[in-house]
Amino acid sequence: MPRREVLAIVVAVLILFGVPGAALGYRLGWFAAPSALRTIDVVAASPENGGFQPDVLRVPAGQRVRLRFSVPDVTHDIAIGPGLGIDLGQVDAGQVKETEVTFARPGRYTLYCNTWCSPNHWRMRATIDAYDPAQPDELVSPSGPDPVVAALVEQGIDVDALHPAAAVPAEKPSASRSEALAQKIQLPAELEDAAWRRDHAPAQAHEALMARLPALDSQSAWDILAFLWLRDVPSTRLDQAAGQYAKACAACHGESGDGEGPGLDALRAQGLARHHDGSEASTALDDPHTLLGGTSALYYAKIRKGGMGTGMPDFGPILTEDETWALVDDLWTFQFEP
Amino acid sequence: MPEHRIDLLARFPWLKEVLRSRAWQPAGALFTLACFVLAISAGLLGTPAGARNFGIIFVWIVWWALLIIGLVPLFGRLWCAICPIPAPGEWFQRRGIIRRSPGRLRGLGLRWPGRLRNIWLQNLGFLLVALFSAIILTRPAATGWVLMGLLLVGTLFGMAFGQRVFCRYVCPVGGFIGLYALLAPVELRVRDREVCRAHASKDCLTGTARSYGCPWLVYPGTLRRNAYCGLCAECLRACPQDNIALNLRPFGADLLVAGERRLDEAYKAFIMLGCALLYSAVLLGPWGWLKNLANMQSLAGWAGYAAGFLAVALVAIPGVFWLATGLARRISGAAAPMRRLFVDYAYGLVPLGLAGWIAFSLSFVLVNGSYALAVVSDPFGWGWDLLGTAHASWRPWLTGFIPALQVLLLLAGLAISITVTYRIACQEQGAAFTGRAWWGTLPIAGFMTGVTVLFLRLYLG
Repeated sequence: MPRREVLAIVVAVLILFGVPGAALGYRLGWFAAPSALRTIDVVAASPENGGFQPDVLRVPAGQRVRLRFSVPDVTHDIAIGPGLGIDLGQVDAGQVKETEVTFARPGRYTLYCNTWCSPNHWRMRATIDAYDPAQPDELVSPSGPDPVVAALVEQGIDVDALHPAAAVPAEKPSASRSEALAQKIQLPAELEDAAWRRDHAPAQAHEALMARLPALDSQSAWDILAFLWLRDVPSTRLDQAAGQYAKACAACHGESGDGEGPGLDALRAQGLARHHDGSEASTALDDPHTLLGGTSALYYAKIRKGGMGTGMPDFGPILTEDETWALVDDLWTFQFEP
Repeated sequence: MPEHRIDLLARFPWLKEVLRSRAWQPAGALFTLACFVLAISAGLLGTPAGARNFGIIFVWIVWWALLIIGLVPLFGRLWCAICPIPAPGEWFQRRGIIRRSPGRLRGLGLRWPGRLRNIWLQNLGFLLVALFSAIILTRPAATGWVLMGLLLVGTLFGMAFGQRVFCRYVCPVGGFIGLYALLAPVELRVRDREVCRAHASKDCLTGTARSYGCPWLVYPGTLRRNAYCGLCAECLRACPQDNIALNLRPFGADLLVAGERRLDEAYKAFIMLGCALLYSAVLLGPWGWLKNLANMQSLAGWAGYAAGFLAVALVAIPGVFWLATGLARRISGAAAPMRRLFVDYAYGLVPLGLAGWIAFSLSFVLVNGSYALAVVSDPFGWGWDLLGTAHASWRPWLTGFIPALQVLLLLAGLAISITVTYRIACQEQGAAFTGRAWWGTLPIAGFMTGVTVLFLRLYLG
């Protein structure tokens, strides 16, 4: 048989059986590159397409692992929290991206999507249990109850209810407008106390201020509160929080806080834009009636545990406590001009 | 030799040497087979994201663009010569890939039924694929299964019925390639029919020591159209009289070959025109509900869509064309039977149909072609970067020019279609009655203009 005929037959056999065989072998891991690094393959799809698969990962704490994500449907932004600062950025449909990570301490972490990928985007999460290699059989438990939330519950404050403000400013209060005034007059001691401000709503503070300083006009009092509420917040912290807001909150609450984000329609369609008492959930963060009646602690709790019965997801598994407080600080900028 | 022909083999001897070689066809088939098997593997094992899967991008964007925009309009059935689908079956029959094996072809030797010696099965096969196209064109796994099915069926047909029976009577792609090959400016013909008539051994049919008999079951001595010539060049290798020519000829010459027009081919012209229109509406149109129906969101909805699709392609378009033909017959006073006129005039639709397909294809080929760069480096979507292009970003090409190109193509297709129809009408009426031929052309031209307007409405909004 001529040599080129033999060559052609060999090539044909390689094509017909070698190509699919090699692909199948690669797929089944026969030819996986030898590496000391453990690689975990995760499919990252919208919740209606199966979400993260697998949705629970167990990895040894303190050991480096490679997480390889493949995206089958639409663009996602894959991140891991809380407190790890891992964000793979946008991963388009069909793309594969990987990251190497070491979970320094045992605990429960969250794998989540950081971009509006579908009406059920907020459901796109998976759990990463980083177990202690010395005690691999011990269950990894989520962190204990949040003391701020626990205190609110103890005080009988309904975190899920609306807390409307009895009085609101005529125009948006401005911190810079009142800075000189606030330093000239003697402010009530409790208002100077950051802990007190966390547990009291601006509307309550306004009432207290007006009671102590009856000569003060109402708008000036609001301006002073704006100054106090934003006084200790560095602009870098606000910038960071604004970035977080854009990723996590703007889809529903709107980029400008007007409560008309593109995700809201989907929530309404799913009946998730209501409070547990049936009232329409207010998503407008620029509405003083809605926001000025609540406390920083209340909003911290709402962010961390989500809105019971509403589409507001729980960000506790994603954000650190400090990141949550920063987000609350950012929230006040919808009411107060710096 | 007929008028207006240039024999490329006489002009370029090197081309003759290449085509006479037994190696070029298997080399092409091995290359396309490698791509085909890779497409099947990627479809079944790779990422389900179509834009990142070799199966979707290289079959429905790259191959389709090459086929409908380049190969078929310019070279007719050249693709069929290197098509991977019948290749394994053909190699089995021949007991080899390149060489001419001694002895007869191997196989079960089953006879293909006489009733099916036409392209009706190909028409049905194409429609069947078309009904599921919204799924097949976007789901890699569906593409993988369809391609694997075609490869298996093509191979089994080669083993059971021999020759290129699958290509000639079954392949859903082969049917429309044959129809549009009638337009191609290249033809394989004999130089002198008298030489063939006088030549007793008919080596082009029986084969020689270095060639096989025509696998397409075509006798080159009487070949007048491209429809069933697979351009494999076996006859060129076989002919001891050096009587085979590869001619450059006027575009669309085969459409004017009277006496070989058939209802099954006429229906292929209707189906292709209808599918180009319907695809444009479903895949490019603004109607989300139509896409949902085609995507089988519900079985009942899809059944309605399928019924509508078939009704438009098989009844509505031929029905309106029948009425136009009836009007043409009446006002031109043609004596030919209605059925014959209906079939003959349908060949006038071929240029417009091809123009519609090219216009439709441009809209997604130019928009999505850049995905090929990333996919060639990562065919399975597994995160590979074989050629360093895996991260090439998607970039639509020439989007600003696409509507203008589509308008030009469709108007050119319309003009050629009307011209062809007029010349067919002249054949019906006789050269002395060109005035009557114009009257006969008028209603058909009206039909074609209406179809063109529909295309333009879909593309331009």
